[in-house]
Amino acid sequence: MLPIDAAAHGSRWRRRHPLDKAVLGLGLTVLAISLPPWPGAALVTATALAVLLGPAGVPARRLWRAYRVPLGFCVTGALTLLVQVGGPGGLLALADDGPLRAGELLLRTSAASLGVLLFAFTTPMSDLLPRLVRAGVPAPLVDVALVTYRMSFLLLDSVRRISTAQAARLGHTTRAATWRSLGGLGATAFVRSFDRAARLQAGLAGRGYDGTLRVLVPEARVSVRFTTASLALLGALTALTLVLERPLS
Amino acid sequence: MHIAEGFLPPAHAVAWGAAAAPFVIHGARSLIREVREHPESTLLLGASGAFTFVLSALKLPSVTGSCSHPTGTGLGAILFRPPVMAVLGTITLLFQSLLLAHGGLTTLGANVFSMAVVGPWAGYAVYRLLRRYDVPLMAAVFCGAFLADLSTYCVTTVQLALAFPDPGSGFLGALGKFGSIFAVTQIPLAVSEGLLTVLVMRLLVQSSKGELTRLGVLVAGAASARAGERKAVAR
Repeated sequence: MLPIDAAAHGSRWRRRHPLDKAVLGLGLTVLAISLPPWPGAALVTATALAVLLGPAGVPARRLWRAYRVPLGFCVTGALTLLVQVGGPGGLLALADDGPLRAGELLLRTSAASLGVLLFAFTTPMSDLLPRLVRAGVPAPLVDVALVTYRMSFLLLDSVRRISTAQAARLGHTTRAATWRSLGGLGATAFVRSFDRAARLQAGLAGRGYDGTLRVLVPEARVSVRFTTASLALLGALTALTLVLERPLS
Repeated sequence: MHIAEGFLPPAHAVAWGAAAAPFVIHGARSLIREVREHPESTLLLGASGAFTFVLSALKLPSVTGSCSHPTGTGLGAILFRPPVMAVLGTITLLFQSLLLAHGGLTTLGANVFSMAVVGPWAGYAVYRLLRRYDVPLMAAVFCGAFLADLSTYCVTTVQLALAFPDPGSGFLGALGKFGSIFAVTQIPLAVSEGLLTVLVMRLLVQSSKGELTRLGVLVAGAASARAGERKAVAR
């Protein structure tokens, strides 16, 4: 299982309805990209961190491990805004407002990432996907996504084992051997995925498979109190940003 | 490269989502039709989605000594066709953003457009064109995978240049700026992905002829005719 999904399965908010967590987490993400970065995104970052480490109970180390991935992309992306091409300073020069634009982008992306991480760290995919049918997503599409999700872990596990076996057979010692091993890995993943699909189909056919994958979904109700509190928090953040925007900028 | 969460302004995020939507809806319709007619296809399509997800998690050695991962769009398009790849790519990108914090939900439309729409279509078009002119399978596969990867990055460059025009030289300057950064890393990576795809396809031709014939990559008659020719030559 992947670390974020594993953490979601053990989350304090696991039993909450995904809609509750979507309103809060994805609401914070929407605010992060639509409010002015200063002070809006900074407030969203602080709020998301407080909720993640506080009520949601996400361990700080796990959060950092997941957060550093998008943060790395944000930093490298923001660096490009520091320079400008052409103009009076020559072919390549430091942009006058580069640090400001880069800072704003960094604030916006880090705040938006934390909002999505709040949702991802508290909502397992297995809780979310079956409920998408009720949200209007066609059932065949959800079924394909469910099979993809469940089979991904099996395949990732197979790929890890094959890679270890290849390394034990000196399959990664030279560049040529690495390429050969990598090609074998990709081909084996393909063969195994099709083989698993065929075996799964045979097993389901024996149980009277009619084209619908029925899975048990943990019971959960939308909490009016939680959703109202989330909307109030989002409203307060918007109001605070608009009030603070002029004095702070 | 996935555009990170929150990287694009809201208007751009919505616009790229709208641009990708028709392709995803078209792919979803054909996928739903396929599943309704052949319920067992659900499992095969799910397996294909998992394969695409896993393929994008493979570490690819790059010439600079670092590692990157293949986009998998070229191989996916050749095996499963671009309309199906639009849906499988969307599912994969959604999983990557929620399970790996790679990409994003607000940038999903932009990432789908570059990686699940333009990449597969460009790669598949080149592959089909070369196959029509009897170019050998592996050469066509290399060109398809190479161009699928490269076109994905070209579209990402355009997306970033539109969102962040250069203060001095506008869109074109930003295009050059982002393009030159990508060119250093992505042209070698596109070559690497082309080579990897050829290696995978060579092994698949040897071990999974049945599946490749079923997917329409190999023609049943042609495959058996070639086998017959080989036997005759051996005799």
